[in-house]
Amino acid sequence: MFATRATPDRDGSPISSGVWILIVLALVSSAALAFWPSGRRDSRTMWLFAKPHQDTYTPIIDEWNRLRDPDIETILLGRAALDRRLLSSFLSGTPAADLIEAERQNAARAFTGSLDAVGFVDLTDRIDAEGIRSRINPPSFAPWMSRGRIFGLPHDVHPVMLGYRADVFEAARIDVDSIRTWDDFERVLRPLMDTNGDGEPDRYLLNLWETSTDHIEVLLLQAGGGFFDDAGRVIIDSPINARVLARIVAWCQGPRRIAADAPNFTASGNQLKAEGFVLSSFFPDWMCDVWKHELPQLAGKIKLMPLPAWDEGERRTSVWGGTMLGIPRSAVKSPEDFEELWSFAKHLYLSKDLATDLYRSSGIVTPVVEFWSDPVFDEPDAYFASQPKGRMYIGLAPQVPARTSSPYNTLALSRVQDALVQLSEETRRTRQYDEARLRERASHYLKRAHDMVAAQIERNVFLSSAGGVP
Amino acid sequence: MMGPAASSRLAPWLFLSPFLVIFVVFTLYPLARSVVLATHQTFGPEHEQYVGARNFAAMIADPLFWTALRNTFVFALASVFIQLPISLGLALLIERRGTPARPLWRILLFSPALVGVVFAAMIFGIILEKRTGLLNVMLHNLTAGAWNLDFAWTQQYVMSALIVASHWMFVGFNMIYFVAALQNVRRDLAEAAVIDGAGSIDRFRHVTLPAIRPVAGFVVLTSIIGSFQLFELPYLMLNQTAGPDNRGLTIVMYLYQVGFEVGDLGYASAIGWGLAVVLVVCTVVQRLLARREEAAV
Repeated sequence: MFATRATPDRDGSPISSGVWILIVLALVSSAALAFWPSGRRDSRTMWLFAKPHQDTYTPIIDEWNRLRDPDIETILLGRAALDRRLLSSFLSGTPAADLIEAERQNAARAFTGSLDAVGFVDLTDRIDAEGIRSRINPPSFAPWMSRGRIFGLPHDVHPVMLGYRADVFEAARIDVDSIRTWDDFERVLRPLMDTNGDGEPDRYLLNLWETSTDHIEVLLLQAGGGFFDDAGRVIIDSPINARVLARIVAWCQGPRRIAADAPNFTASGNQLKAEGFVLSSFFPDWMCDVWKHELPQLAGKIKLMPLPAWDEGERRTSVWGGTMLGIPRSAVKSPEDFEELWSFAKHLYLSKDLATDLYRSSGIVTPVVEFWSDPVFDEPDAYFASQPKGRMYIGLAPQVPARTSSPYNTLALSRVQDALVQLSEETRRTRQYDEARLRERASHYLKRAHDMVAAQIERNVFLSSAGGVP
Repeated sequence: MMGPAASSRLAPWLFLSPFLVIFVVFTLYPLARSVVLATHQTFGPEHEQYVGARNFAAMIADPLFWTALRNTFVFALASVFIQLPISLGLALLIERRGTPARPLWRILLFSPALVGVVFAAMIFGIILEKRTGLLNVMLHNLTAGAWNLDFAWTQQYVMSALIVASHWMFVGFNMIYFVAALQNVRRDLAEAAVIDGAGSIDRFRHVTLPAIRPVAGFVVLTSIIGSFQLFELPYLMLNQTAGPDNRGLTIVMYLYQVGFEVGDLGYASAIGWGLAVVLVVCTVVQRLLARREEAAV
């Protein structure tokens, strides 16, 4: 048998001198790490998630750094990494950058608690005092506002148009100006679906599917629906939402089917687009650059048109995506800190150079209204058959629907998508495609989604004690 | 100076201290903290409000919690009643006398486990894709165009797709446990059974199964626990969603959504404890059943 007792060293200690050295080294290095002065920071950091943004900002930031101290340093993070770090900073006070460029979903997390717990500095008073509110397209503020306060400078407008296969439409002598509503869209374009005359569709008119949450939100917002009203109350079971859901189901199955799925950002989806399996897709301004890079073979074959309206004379656009620049509370230790960061934020986001560079490099239209008259937006774009797409997007920008900044928006969208899938499955089973019936069943499923989201929000004691949801 | 006796007593603790510090900081404290969190609504460490058992009451009334629990149970049952018998069957085939190239079979069948969940999710995502997916294209060609290329496997059969992907990964992995167990079955007992005229089924029931029972019990338990921890595979295969109508929503995925997407850490902690209770119940039931069978043997 082996003894399990420790064998004493020569001096009687069970720990040899080598082990003592290791222990001392471990303790000394731990203490050094813990107490080492972090040193004075000689630069300010800015987190962002999009490489094209970083590339566009670099010349402006270099110029800023040449003239002023301290320097601004940009740090590019993956979207998920930025999300985690931001949430961690808000919830646990872990270090964050001095400026953060956040997407709508990331930023909304900051608004879950009471107003005094929002992780970004409230910019409302400065924005009003400096007249910035009137310089920016009003809907662009909406995703960064909570309970009437503004927590970020908007980066964009992101109006949505419909990108269509101009080569196919023009060969069939389709006049897109005659397509003013979704009903027109179905009626005028339906003959394009059957290419060999066998009565079966060989391609589809619209890139849309019942599981594409982005597309669902685009259509809901365009129709004037959505998940929360201006006072933050849940409105998921509204008749407008029921109408949109019913129409999406009718578009995806049955005799009125016009839609098919060619997912964005995937090789298979791009293949289907290139083959002309879908003839039109939703195009927010940022999507133009994505297509140019991913589908260069379609250059000159794509054109843009305003979205068909839900009813004659109504909104011809929607909104998809959004970014803001915010100053985390943790970065502001003194009024001077805030002034320094605020000056830079304004310099960057309200810069005309940035507005034109951003448009040239990524197709994104600035929310700063006074820059819209710049000739850059009138330049013809060869990819879009020489259309002046910037001017077209700007023409729609004032119509862009305002969105909620509710932290429950993602949850609401998921529940609405569940409702859509349930409606869709029921319709597949029953094969009853009558629109009135579809709307009635959509209302039924939306009511369930409505109750689930309302119950979740009801549990938030911070918001209920603050007098309502954001 | 410390005496040799005192040093002897201190030494094990000194060596254990790195583990103890890590265990206390990263396991024990979070565990205790999650009990407190489960009774609070939180927004960061500075904003907490005691809500008593409201989080647990909300969990019981939450249809998504039950959907997640049902999905997870289905997956766990498939793991235990489909995956493990396949693993055992493969192990028996490989360990059978006369099977050629045994090491090669072991490596081949074990190799999917080396791929990693992320790659498996991507591979199956590509295979099951609509229109351009390998399976749809193959079925379309085999049926001379009768098969609808638009068939969405990961929408219509979410759980089946997840089960197939997970079986592909873990059948070989669990098979290795059974192979090890089979190699320890006493050969003399098996030979005695043959002499006594026992057939292959009787030999399996009365010789092999009792011998591998401890390993089988362990594999069943780890499979159940692993099934209840299912997260990465559906999360990646379903593009970071729970699939249409939450058909791929598992308990851990729901916990993640509530805690890190909605930011409701209190409710997420309550779900975590709900999961812990389910796992304890499953373990106790499994142990009781195993003991009863052992007693019967």
